[in-house]
Amino acid sequence: MFKRMLRVSLWVWGLCVLYPLFWTVTTSLKSTGQFNLGHAWDLPRLPLQFVNFSDAWQKAHFGTYFLNSTAVVLSAVVLSLLLSATTAFIMARHPFRGSGLMFGLYISTMMIPTILGLVPLFFFMSSLHLTNSLTGLSLLYTIIQVPFGVFVLVGFFKAMPGELEAAAAIDGCGIFGTFFKIMLPLARSGLVTVAIMNALAYWNEYLFALVLVGSPEKYTVSIGLSFLQGEMQYSVEWGVLFAALIISVVPVFLLYVFFQRQITAGLTAGALKG
Amino acid sequence: MIAERNKKLYSKGQYTWFLIVFIVPTFALFCLLTLYPMVRGVYTSFFDWTGTSSKMTFIGLDNYRKLFDDEIIPRTIQHDYFLVFWKVLLILLFATVFAVALTRLKLRESAFFRAVFFFPNMISVVVIGVLWRFIYNPNLGFLNSFLSLFTEKPVSIAWLGDSDLALAALVPPSVWAGIGFYMVLIMSGIMGISESLYESARIDGAGEWKQFTRLTIPLVWEQIKVSLLSIVMTTLNGSFLIVWLMTEGGPDNSTQVMGSYLYQVGFKQYQMGYATAIGVMILVLSLLTTVLLNRLLRRETHEW
Amino acid sequence: MNFKKTVIPAMLSLGLMSALVGCGSNGGNEASPTSSPSPSVSSSASSSPTNASEGLKGKLEIQYFVGGYGDTWWKETISEFEKMNPDLEVVQHAGPKINEQMKTRWIEGNPPDVVYIDGDGTFTEKLLVQNEQLMDITDWIATAKNSDGEPIKDQLIGQPRSYDGVNYAIPLVFGVFGTWYDKALFQKNGWEVPKDWAGFLELNQKAMDAGIIPYIHQGQYPSYIIRGLLNSGFVTENNGDPAILKDINALKEGVFKSAPVMGMLSKLTEMNGKGYINKAALALNHTDSQNQWLQHKAIFIPCGLWLENEMKKTMPEGFDYGFIPSVTQAQGGKFVAVPYTNEIGIAKEAKNVDAAKAFLQFVFTKKAAIRWAETTGALMNLKVDLESTQASGAVKSAMSYLNSDNTIVASVDNEMDPTVAKAMDDATAALLGEKITKEEWADRMEKAAAAARK
Repeated sequence: MFKRMLRVSLWVWGLCVLYPLFWTVTTSLKSTGQFNLGHAWDLPRLPLQFVNFSDAWQKAHFGTYFLNSTAVVLSAVVLSLLLSATTAFIMARHPFRGSGLMFGLYISTMMIPTILGLVPLFFFMSSLHLTNSLTGLSLLYTIIQVPFGVFVLVGFFKAMPGELEAAAAIDGCGIFGTFFKIMLPLARSGLVTVAIMNALAYWNEYLFALVLVGSPEKYTVSIGLSFLQGEMQYSVEWGVLFAALIISVVPVFLLYVFFQRQITAGLTAGALKG
Repeated sequence: MIAERNKKLYSKGQYTWFLIVFIVPTFALFCLLTLYPMVRGVYTSFFDWTGTSSKMTFIGLDNYRKLFDDEIIPRTIQHDYFLVFWKVLLILLFATVFAVALTRLKLRESAFFRAVFFFPNMISVVVIGVLWRFIYNPNLGFLNSFLSLFTEKPVSIAWLGDSDLALAALVPPSVWAGIGFYMVLIMSGIMGISESLYESARIDGAGEWKQFTRLTIPLVWEQIKVSLLSIVMTTLNGSFLIVWLMTEGGPDNSTQVMGSYLYQVGFKQYQMGYATAIGVMILVLSLLTTVLLNRLLRRETHEW
Repeated sequence: MNFKKTVIPAMLSLGLMSALVGCGSNGGNEASPTSSPSPSVSSSASSSPTNASEGLKGKLEIQYFVGGYGDTWWKETISEFEKMNPDLEVVQHAGPKINEQMKTRWIEGNPPDVVYIDGDGTFTEKLLVQNEQLMDITDWIATAKNSDGEPIKDQLIGQPRSYDGVNYAIPLVFGVFGTWYDKALFQKNGWEVPKDWAGFLELNQKAMDAGIIPYIHQGQYPSYIIRGLLNSGFVTENNGDPAILKDINALKEGVFKSAPVMGMLSKLTEMNGKGYINKAALALNHTDSQNQWLQHKAIFIPCGLWLENEMKKTMPEGFDYGFIPSVTQAQGGKFVAVPYTNEIGIAKEAKNVDAAKAFLQFVFTKKAAIRWAETTGALMNLKVDLESTQASGAVKSAMSYLNSDNTIVASVDNEMDPTVAKAMDDATAALLGEKITKEEWADRMEKAAAAARK
């Protein structure tokens, strides 16, 4: 009895999760006319409106947004990884006086609501001419995920056997050589986890992009989507909106399919910080 | 100790240089783009400032006094904790039940469910907002059409347009998007429980329910505690996003939470000083809540 | 079109019958801002002493909201302006969400040069003036001539608002709010267009009997019902004296508890109590609710003159728009029309003031005004002969109301504080949702007004 109830509840919830996603796909293939007639759950009528996708990509500029997001995400992921791995390496293996304090500082900002600094951050970035710029956004994204990266990677570097570094150093690799050629590759699984998690966080980020990016040609996917929804009140083309929604979810979906294990591990690591 | 040993691996000049290169750029950027804005936020809260003019007038605690005079503020706080309460309750309930089901039932389809349930955690709050706004749409939306199947007259409930319903209507999307992650977290706890414990419980005659309450729950209490704190923190610090995307705080401020009000006051009404004061209030409340909860939960574990 | 052959709004009717098309086309290149002595800021710094049009260089950023009027006129006008000024690059910031999108640029002091202010209760002329974001154009507009060499100010229907004697923006669009009705349905059912409150209620009841919830409104944006129903109602309740609207906008103490305001609110709650106002409308945005009305699911809706143009894509076959400026007058009472304008201005921090001024001069011409009427079916704020145009039937009938002796035109020259306007939206939504009483509405408004007066 207990078991059967549990099992039914699983199926019900599974439906609750999958159906809206399935429905999004069907909706993206409907023409506007089909919305006003019939039920929300009707299957799209033939011919399927694949034109919604090309409209979203071109007319609604999701092609541009997609490129912007990709550029910002990739650059921020690389930079953030570099900045957090170097710091984490020192903190784990070469602690200096004050490094514990510094670590605490990094970690504690993960608990502070980001919105607290939103207003001053905006004006600060503005004074540096980094508002309305993808460079500025990418730089900011880099730094907001550093505490998470440091936190996860410190664990990885700490877990490495000390002899490895010693052996490398004795082989004459020099410090930088040791770090880049020996230590980083060894921390690969940690780096992958952090990179994936950061990529997801950046791709989905909304608040900073909303405040910092003013010009439509520099929008990221999430800002583009939120404004497209607003514009739909004027030109009612739901199919295009949902096509755009799917376009924005595809990269996330692919990351999830290929890196499910790292993602769950990464999130769990992040949560256990408290 | 480690440091001393590792330090010896390299020449001294090189070592200092290495420390600087590895530590300073990160820390400098962090100070500029994370610490400075936060500190500056506290500072700005003592000023009257529109943001558009260079004129900043020091007004002491006036912005904080305004917090107490502003009738919307208590409502925003109340709304925030409303969301916290229901999210904690529903997410933990569902997440625990599903976690147990997926680990203890040994179903063939476990991996599938796990992957499916987790997916909403991956997608952005914007996508969730767009999707659920459409679900709630009074005329075209899925929910009303579905309910209409069971009624004579078509249902036309204005889920997000009724000030009595709108806030509650924000709970399902948050729960929908939140369960998967906490479920995985709790699952990791359950999988750490040794099978032999369940074995001996069965021998003692404990049924499924008893095993669940007496064995599973106490042993994953740590994970539940972490989940609870995490839900509270993320809600207090981030619930305004879903609010902003779905209702912009309306109708009649019935869904306004602290963060969305901050955004409105600052970026729509140009009261930057007051907005930062709201930011400080959010910080104080979220820290207080965390500390308090930590206390409460610690005591409970002792009593267990 | 079988409407009156000529519709000339009263204020516009003075002369100006000359061949309009001709004067626009040759006006172009020879437009000589020499004739517009622009005494302020820029003339010394810029290198365009005589002919600004020729010398305009650099970039001109224009922000304009795209709503019911669409963007055809803007694109066309701007591209012509560009053709005249080959060295000038015009950047357009446009869209239905543009005010929100550009907000941060205004806040950080990097605004566009020209801004058309419309579409958003949180982005108003008053707000921009309060925050010192618009350029003082008092001296310039006093003498400025348009590209055809005609003084701009003389030709405006609605004059620029004055803030302690200073002008910051010029009204570009002129219109009137009111109640729209489903004309074809009225004809089909033999319903008479209501002339007063009693007739209006009677029709609502008839619709109810026919199974239609008669009155729908753009609930997510309560300002529609405020401007389309309440505002004219406040005036009729004040014995037709529009001074009440000025008092409201000036946040005069006690005005929200005054008899005219409470009287109108009683009427509103009476309507609502009888179930005439669609309750679900509170969740609808403007296009959704307007669509419902087009689908004959309601017979009345409040709106401004852009409605037809806004809905032309989804208008069902055979639909006919009817417009009445007010429904609240007592039997035999005059109609009350509450006009609105939407302004265009130059940012205080504009980087290309010369080009911005030249653009305004280019825009306030008869040719542009006629194109506006032709592309939007509504009115630009310039006196022109609309004989040759395709202004829509309902707009022409709105104009005939404005011209009629039986209409009180309540021109209002002040705007409400944006924070109080937001409070009024919220309170009105709450009142319509029956969450508060009209007394609580008044209390709230008095409090909000008191806070803003501080």
